[in-house]
Amino acid sequence: MSLLTIENVTKRFGGLTAVDNVSMEIKEGEIVGLIGPNGAGKTTLMNLIAGTFNPEEGKIVFDGHDITKLEPFQVCRRGVSRTYQIPRPFPDMTALMNVGVGVLCGKKRPNMSLVDGMLDASHCLEFVGLFGKRNILARDLSLFELRALELARALATTPRLILIDEVMAGLNQAEGRVAIRLIEKIIEEFHVTILWIEHVMKIIMEATQRVVVLHYGEIISSGLPGEIANDPQVIEAYLGEKIA
Amino acid sequence: MVRIEHKRALMVFRFGDKKFEWPIETRYWRNPILGIGLLALLPIVFSGRPDALSLIATANIYACIAIPLAWQMTGIGRLNFGPQAFVGIGGFIAALASVHFGWGPWATLPFAILGGLFFGFIFSPLTNIAKGLYFSLITLIIPLIFLEITYYFSIFKGETGLYGIAPLVNVSSIKAEYIITGYMALIMMVIFLFVVVKVFDSRIGLYSAAINDDEEVANNLGLNIKRWKIISFVITSTMVAVAGWFAAHYFGTFSGVTYLQLPFMLKILLMVMIGGRGDVYGAVYGAYFVVILEKALTVVGLAHYILFPLILLILLFALKEGIYGLYRMHRYREYYPTIRVRKR
Repeated sequence: MSLLTIENVTKRFGGLTAVDNVSMEIKEGEIVGLIGPNGAGKTTLMNLIAGTFNPEEGKIVFDGHDITKLEPFQVCRRGVSRTYQIPRPFPDMTALMNVGVGVLCGKKRPNMSLVDGMLDASHCLEFVGLFGKRNILARDLSLFELRALELARALATTPRLILIDEVMAGLNQAEGRVAIRLIEKIIEEFHVTILWIEHVMKIIMEATQRVVVLHYGEIISSGLPGEIANDPQVIEAYLGEKIA
Repeated sequence: MVRIEHKRALMVFRFGDKKFEWPIETRYWRNPILGIGLLALLPIVFSGRPDALSLIATANIYACIAIPLAWQMTGIGRLNFGPQAFVGIGGFIAALASVHFGWGPWATLPFAILGGLFFGFIFSPLTNIAKGLYFSLITLIIPLIFLEITYYFSIFKGETGLYGIAPLVNVSSIKAEYIITGYMALIMMVIFLFVVVKVFDSRIGLYSAAINDDEEVANNLGLNIKRWKIISFVITSTMVAVAGWFAAHYFGTFSGVTYLQLPFMLKILLMVMIGGRGDVYGAVYGAYFVVILEKALTVVGLAHYILFPLILLILLFALKEGIYGLYRMHRYREYYPTIRVRKR
């Protein structure tokens, strides 16, 4: 069953068409990789799904409901959460409170007390291995810890679809491996659907079930990771045309 | 039936599904209680000096403006340069009702509150439309327009302002009146302080902190930021209007020249910034400090017009976290609700 359906979505910024007539489907429980060179429109597409931007044309349907014109908080409450390419924590709040906002706001929980919300948040932090840092201000966390915090915050909203934006950026190999293991653990435990933007091809090829390739705002290829790796159009988009 | 449980540092009161928690560890309430106790002694200590009593009451009235402003700065993530517009709204409603209809302070209070709510709601969309400097500039202009209105319409009596406003209390002894009104100002300040501290310690405090840090991320985490910014703005503006109501009845006169001009606004902002940059207790320190400093500098004569802003500017640069920051350097506490969770 299709969880997310994007139908002919277009987004322009002045004269630039960042996302051009994109259509795709993501089934419940799928792990879909979204790749493309810099400026291909990947993050813009993610912003359109999350409600940060509204598309000029097209329609986005999540779980049978049209979410095209919804506000980001409404999209989140329907079960879509996200992480950011450059981590964006609440810097003057502790790790626990960062996640607590997701717990208390991600779903309508008017009767949940602050203390109960923080207890739930502490479980999310424990899951991503940050329980020991719960009372540290987010601005004092390392990049890897911030990536884990973003995942914990995304989990706190009890999502059905998580939009992951370049979780590997800036991490060393060892940290990258831990991050991948963490995302695998999230998928195993919470059975969430994932749309994953990543520049590290090896990870996309190993961790995702299907890959969609964007280039200049258009989908140029879509299929199994193995097929994508050998698609001449994808190779050309990444490496350019042969001169001779 | 209310059930009471004792949990480590908390007393938990349960009434059906509702739960109310009260921290019983002294460190949570000792210092605020000591501080308020000290302030409560001041009117008795200075009972023979009307000028000192008036100074204390003025500091409390200023604190009543600075305290909600500290919440507002956090809750809407913007710097309001024109909180005095709401001092004017509350004050003029009280003054007009009292002078023209002969109403007493308790009759004018509901109208001042309604005025604060109404105009707060009217101006609240600005918190979502205008950002950063634009918001500050717009809010800076609003009280200045209001000031022009007070010149234009004779009902506000222009530069002279309205006078003959009913006093807060009617007692035969002037000394007793000063002491009673001094305590009334203190009680109002403590109520404001209590309300805002409770708000900061609740989930609304968490929402305010999130909006202040990054409203786009907060929105993406499911927080209806537009709604909470409007709520924060309307409530805090109404509290400021109540402070205006109190000032009108306390001083017996009210004019736009006193309350709607830039110097008054700068004084309030400096109280917030020097006190502790958005910290609620800092606003009280700031209010007392600025009022006492202004009074103390009058001994140097006309030079105080230069010295007063100069000292405030130096302090603004020297104390980056305000006066309250000096205290926090030794005993660190976060601005927003800090909940310690133990591993199960």
